[in-house]
Amino acid sequence: MDSPIYEDLTPILKRARLVFIVVAILFGAVLSFYWKIQILDYGKYWAASESNRTREIAIPAPRAILTDRGGAVVLANNIGAFKVSLIRENTRNLEESLARISPLLGLEVAVLRQRVDKYKTLPLFRPIVVKDDLSLTEVSRIEARRMDFPELVIETEPKRSYPFLKLAAHALGYLQELTPEDLRSAFKDRRVGDMAGKTGIEGAYEARLAGVDGKLVEVVDSLGRKREELERIEPRQSAKLPLTIDFDLQAKAEELLDGKEGAIVALDARTGGVLAMASFPTYDPNKFINRFTPEEWITLVQNPDTPLVNRALQGQYSPGSIFKPIMGIGALDLGLITDQTTFFCGGTAVFDGREWHCWYEPGHGSLNLPEAIRQSCNIFFYNVGMRMKIDDIARYAGEFGLGRKTGVDIAGEKPGLVPSTEWKRKTQGAVWYPGETVSVAIGQGPLQVTPIQIAAMTAQIANRGTRLQPHLLLDDDAKAGAAATRASVPPETIEKVIEGMWRSANREGTGRGAKVEGFDVCSKTGSTQTIGRETSERLGIKKKTHSWFTGFAPRNNPQVVVTVLIEFGGMGGEAAAPVAGQLFKLYKDKHDRPSRAPGN
Amino acid sequence: MIDRVELREIDWILIGLLLLNAVIGVVLIYSSAHYLTGGFYLRQLLWLLVSVILLFLTLTVDYKVLLGFSPYVYGLFIAVLAGMLVFGKAVAGAKSWVLRLSVFGGQPSELAKIALILLLARIFSEYRRKSLSLEFGLLGVGVTVLPFVVIGLQPDLGTAVSLLPILFGALILCGLRRKTVVLLLVGTLALGFAGWNFVLKDYQKKRLVTLVNPNKDPRGTGYHVLQSKIAIGSGGLSGKGFKKGTQSQLKFLPARHTDFIGSVLGEEFGFLGVFAVFLSYFFFLARLFTSVPRSRDRAGMYIIFMVACLLSFQFLVNVMMIVGLFPVTGVPIPLLSYGGSSLLTTFLAVGLVLNVKMRRCVNV
Repeated sequence: MDSPIYEDLTPILKRARLVFIVVAILFGAVLSFYWKIQILDYGKYWAASESNRTREIAIPAPRAILTDRGGAVVLANNIGAFKVSLIRENTRNLEESLARISPLLGLEVAVLRQRVDKYKTLPLFRPIVVKDDLSLTEVSRIEARRMDFPELVIETEPKRSYPFLKLAAHALGYLQELTPEDLRSAFKDRRVGDMAGKTGIEGAYEARLAGVDGKLVEVVDSLGRKREELERIEPRQSAKLPLTIDFDLQAKAEELLDGKEGAIVALDARTGGVLAMASFPTYDPNKFINRFTPEEWITLVQNPDTPLVNRALQGQYSPGSIFKPIMGIGALDLGLITDQTTFFCGGTAVFDGREWHCWYEPGHGSLNLPEAIRQSCNIFFYNVGMRMKIDDIARYAGEFGLGRKTGVDIAGEKPGLVPSTEWKRKTQGAVWYPGETVSVAIGQGPLQVTPIQIAAMTAQIANRGTRLQPHLLLDDDAKAGAAATRASVPPETIEKVIEGMWRSANREGTGRGAKVEGFDVCSKTGSTQTIGRETSERLGIKKKTHSWFTGFAPRNNPQVVVTVLIEFGGMGGEAAAPVAGQLFKLYKDKHDRPSRAPGN
Repeated sequence: MIDRVELREIDWILIGLLLLNAVIGVVLIYSSAHYLTGGFYLRQLLWLLVSVILLFLTLTVDYKVLLGFSPYVYGLFIAVLAGMLVFGKAVAGAKSWVLRLSVFGGQPSELAKIALILLLARIFSEYRRKSLSLEFGLLGVGVTVLPFVVIGLQPDLGTAVSLLPILFGALILCGLRRKTVVLLLVGTLALGFAGWNFVLKDYQKKRLVTLVNPNKDPRGTGYHVLQSKIAIGSGGLSGKGFKKGTQSQLKFLPARHTDFIGSVLGEEFGFLGVFAVFLSYFFFLARLFTSVPRSRDRAGMYIIFMVACLLSFQFLVNVMMIVGLFPVTGVPIPLLSYGGSSLLTTFLAVGLVLNVKMRRCVNV
């Protein structure tokens, strides 16, 4: 056995030194790795730490307020609402998370999944709104368990509100949540869950109404709790937008239409501004401002009475007798008749080998143009139609804005239809027969018009041929004069037709229901068959006709145009004229006593 | 008692380096946990005081005496740890008992390292052949595996793993033969395989897996490593300043004052701070390694070398772990990380080194 004192310990020391060298090398290697991440990759990690600690929250701008023309009545404003969003980045497992939050939010897992899946192509850090318009109870329930649900965030947002519910719903339009396609195309700068105007004024002036969202940059800790505020940019709400809508007239129009189907358009005869635009049946846009109300939406979409359709712009109807003023203007302008030319109405007459009826079976006897307009005699206008070419009729109809969109601000307008030889050749590959012109002469046949076209046409007659652009923004009233155009027809010619329209309301004509004492209403009524007379007789059913009225007042210095269409309302003089009469009266009363209409 | 010669031989430079690093630790702990209730840095200071006193107390006892007691101390620790394990599993509410023990007396598993160092030093100092035989190697492995298993089952993987450098240190010093190296590697692999399938908890496996790709699971285990790397990388050259680390102050960093104290260092003091701490720690370790020849006998050399290996291993594993070069195993940096028993263990281990060195001129 070796002595402990003389033991050779050199190998032990050698090994110890070797290990020390290895440790020293490792120190150097690890230090060089720190050099790499702290010096070489510094920028990358610095950026990561910045985004780690800051969170950017958009502060949605409230939409601009919409008012009526007086500026005092608010038609659309904003109220505060709470929404809850899911941030997928903060979930460990999306399915588990959905199962956990389902009872908390009171929503089926399938519904939640559907909402999340809708936006699954978006980056994970983007919050997806899963429920909005939360009650305060719901808000406190979620907030109380915030630590358990790091993936949920509650935010407040201004929510669009229409204080008068259904009032002017079609003119104002409604909002819908932007779809992922919207976000990729037309609304690139907007965020998931943003609402945007889809129809009406809301849709047409989306950019102007939306305002500029604000921004809040916060320092947050690892649990997403706010520690301090770094930057705050307040949202900017756009200036309030006054519309041409006259609140009183609009409310009255809707009151008069309630329970019926149809449309009313009232225009300011001096500017073309829309004073009232009503379409029935209607809807309450407040009900589907929320992102998720599928039942109500589906009910509205599937309703056979089509409440979402704005009949004032999108309903295309035969004009019937309200087309007769155009026939009169055309025939006078072409020199085919004068206002003294008379035709005899015996209740029936034969044209082009067929027997035609007047709506007044005993017959009107012998009458001239103003009288024919007053009594809306069919036989007189059949005679006029027999003398006119269809293309001439189409030209005059076109000069008064029929057969094309009026260009009112709101999207979705229908062009209507004015037949011509070219139209028939193009669509049916056939020639136009003179017999067909007879139908068109009393506003039947293929002719189709929308209520706003008729209102604009009436305003043009009222202004003796000067055409104004119908519009909904009060600011555009100022541009009305500059934008006006003129028909080729001289004012004196139109005056002769106006004489008939005046008699219609004031001399016991078909429009007598619209007469307002001291307001000189000039009008024309119409009743359009929804099925042919022969079919009706054969089937033994008596379907009521659509009831039309259009007119303006007063005769000289016209101020207001009213057009009324009531679907299946019966005779125009019976159903539509009295409705228009009440609106004329309201307008007259209001403007006779300006003190009761502040700011107007 | 200590005589004059021994007093003269006390390595004050080593003590100075030991205290320097411990104070650096207190500063980092202050920055990382000053806003938490519990006064972590004050507690660390208190532990530091206790550790210094205990260190000087142990110097009064010759390490030869300690070596003589080592089998009993070792046995006691195994019994206590096994008891904690059994009670922890058998009795409801035992967890609170274990908790009380850890709060009051720290973690006994940390101090088990000292017991193992002493026992291995005693075993291997009696072995005098030129290279290590299989039987002796297996004896060393055996006495290490026993505490490794009872500590690993606590479960405290970090501390269990820290026992391995002690064993390997001893084996290397003994002169491992190539055949033995192969056998040991095969044995370790077999142990690893068995451990992976039967012993490791899911969270521990996950940690190993996320080492491969921390970006894959940003909110899982890899999240910690990723956040730590972001903290360190964003420190840049000179750091964000004392108490100004956004990652650590805003709690993106997990276990900031213990396992991830190095991330606070990297973020707040930058590469320069990292470099300085690496340097001071390296001097400290170098002082230990260069002390190996300053022993009067074989056992002393083993003690010093095993302590040097243990502390080098823990430091390197931790600084690699927080930048994703090593799995997150929960190995703290001795002296720098918060933890009373870890601090005390380190002081006692360095105390053993001082003990050996001061008595190198004494003949028994």
